[in-house]
Amino acid sequence: MHAPRIPRSTKLPRVAAILVAVAGLGLAGCDDHAGDPKVQIGANPVLPEVQQYLMPPMRIAEVVGWGKDEAPSVPQGLQVHALATGFQHPRSLYVLPNGDVLVVESNGPKAPVYRPKDIITGWVQSFAGAKAEDANRITLLRGTKADGTPELRTVFLDHLDSPFGVALIGHDLYVANTDAIVRYPYQDGQTSITAAGTKLTDLPGGPIDHHWTKALLASPDGSKLYVGVGSNSNVGENGIGAEYERAAIWEVDRASGAHRIFASGVRNPTGLQWEPETGKLWAIANERDEIGPDLVPDYLTSVQDGGFYGWPYSYYGQHLDPRIVPQRPDLVATAIKPDYALSSHVAPLGVAMYTGTDLPANYRGGAFVGEHGSWNRTPLNGYKVVFVPFSGGRPSGPPQDVVTGFLDANNHAHGRPVGLAVDRTGGLLIADDVGNTVWRVSSLRPGSSPKPAS
Amino acid sequence: MQQHTTITEATFLRDADLRPIRKRRGRPTHRILVSFSAAYFAAAFVTDIVYWQMPDVVWERFSIWLIAAGLVMAGLAAVAYVIDLAGHRRMERPVWPRVVGYGLAVLLALINAFVHSRDGYTAVVPTGLMLSGLVVAVLLVTASVAAALANRHRIGA
Repeated sequence: MHAPRIPRSTKLPRVAAILVAVAGLGLAGCDDHAGDPKVQIGANPVLPEVQQYLMPPMRIAEVVGWGKDEAPSVPQGLQVHALATGFQHPRSLYVLPNGDVLVVESNGPKAPVYRPKDIITGWVQSFAGAKAEDANRITLLRGTKADGTPELRTVFLDHLDSPFGVALIGHDLYVANTDAIVRYPYQDGQTSITAAGTKLTDLPGGPIDHHWTKALLASPDGSKLYVGVGSNSNVGENGIGAEYERAAIWEVDRASGAHRIFASGVRNPTGLQWEPETGKLWAIANERDEIGPDLVPDYLTSVQDGGFYGWPYSYYGQHLDPRIVPQRPDLVATAIKPDYALSSHVAPLGVAMYTGTDLPANYRGGAFVGEHGSWNRTPLNGYKVVFVPFSGGRPSGPPQDVVTGFLDANNHAHGRPVGLAVDRTGGLLIADDVGNTVWRVSSLRPGSSPKPAS
Repeated sequence: MQQHTTITEATFLRDADLRPIRKRRGRPTHRILVSFSAAYFAAAFVTDIVYWQMPDVVWERFSIWLIAAGLVMAGLAAVAYVIDLAGHRRMERPVWPRVVGYGLAVLLALINAFVHSRDGYTAVVPTGLMLSGLVVAVLLVTASVAAALANRHRIGA
């Protein structure tokens, strides 16, 4: 009963069928149903069930940059123009007392590869302009010529280490590099600092340094510095040991360099600001990814001394994240629900509490928020600067779109807003880290320069 | 019984006629690569069990790299298989149970690679762990079925 031993050579169709089935699975992983971001705004965002993916949705906006005479859009009564262009990934802004504007050009350290996923994520994000070379410098802009560009532009500080936050107290200029706060001597009117810096304190840096931006804010009396230190992972996947003193807002004593954890459980806190009416500390936070297009909403919140805001164990109070084991019910029980949701994956990275007088009165006392924009949600969310009105020291209504047009109708990104600042005359400055531009928004008045075509 | 033994001997004799040809050509390259991938998948199941018992991130990282290495080997095996076919190498019979079983195992391992690329505990427990176990089970069943069939052909039952 021997079958003849003839080599078979018709196996390929079935192999091909298997490959097609695999490809189909990959596509199915991209199918997600994002809800309306409007229901995730304010004090009580609607939170759907946790979803886990075979392939988490990635949707990035292709970067096309700004053409000549292209600019973002602003509402009636405002105008926007490019204060300066040709930067290298401008990430945050700081205005010195004499009106000089500091532009921090920075793009973070190289991310290490711990898993095959890191290679793919890095590759995908390179299309979103996230992999530009790190300039590691601060550029100074002074004055305004008739065409709206600065009279003077100099390299203010060079050879930094992924800087982000800047704070001036008296004649001490503090720069928050990704791994340390460094103090430089600053004389009024100085356009370039060549003196060596003095380290005030180390900050959690490499080798992982997942969230590298260290936001900085001085206390009103100048005795303390507040530092936003982001987490070292999305949700603890690098081990809880990698999160030591991270996902926290530090309070650093300026005299000694000693620090304590002012608040914790904030995944990536930036945009530290004093709310002008109550003098309370406020921050924005980027929340966790990969559990759905509508989880977890990023937020704007007051920061309570000693407060715990959930990360990584829970979100929005006591909503447990199944990806963290062992859990910490003792911490989760104390988790504070943030004040104001901005909707999911908008990636807020800049806040300016408006106390100027140039913009219309309805903006006074509220918060502008720069939303860098989503990369893992369909449809895209963010990519604009919104205004959150405040009343009595609390957000008092839905956000209004103020600066839009970073994203065009074809979902191409001309730019992405990041850090915000208010200049000495009350204009709103916006760092655009893929458009490599600093935009200035001001009131449109009779006789002032016309609004550029957008 | 006597009759059966006779047939078996006859089978071996006929087999022996073919063996020199096969030995000279050596074992098909794809079979070696398949063994490597199976070993990687089995090792990933072990590191998954360790992570399940002691959720330290290092074990999860071992698992995903082992699965990835297994998939790379499976890809190379597929290429080698095509080359072996094109080279008209004499394949060991029976081939179909092996191709289907191994293909299923690789498909499950590919899904498992995506599951293991999640962040945190749910990258492994429970889905990743179950898939790793299932891959090993499918490979074991495939191997034993293939061996049994090969044996049956050999003894001519």
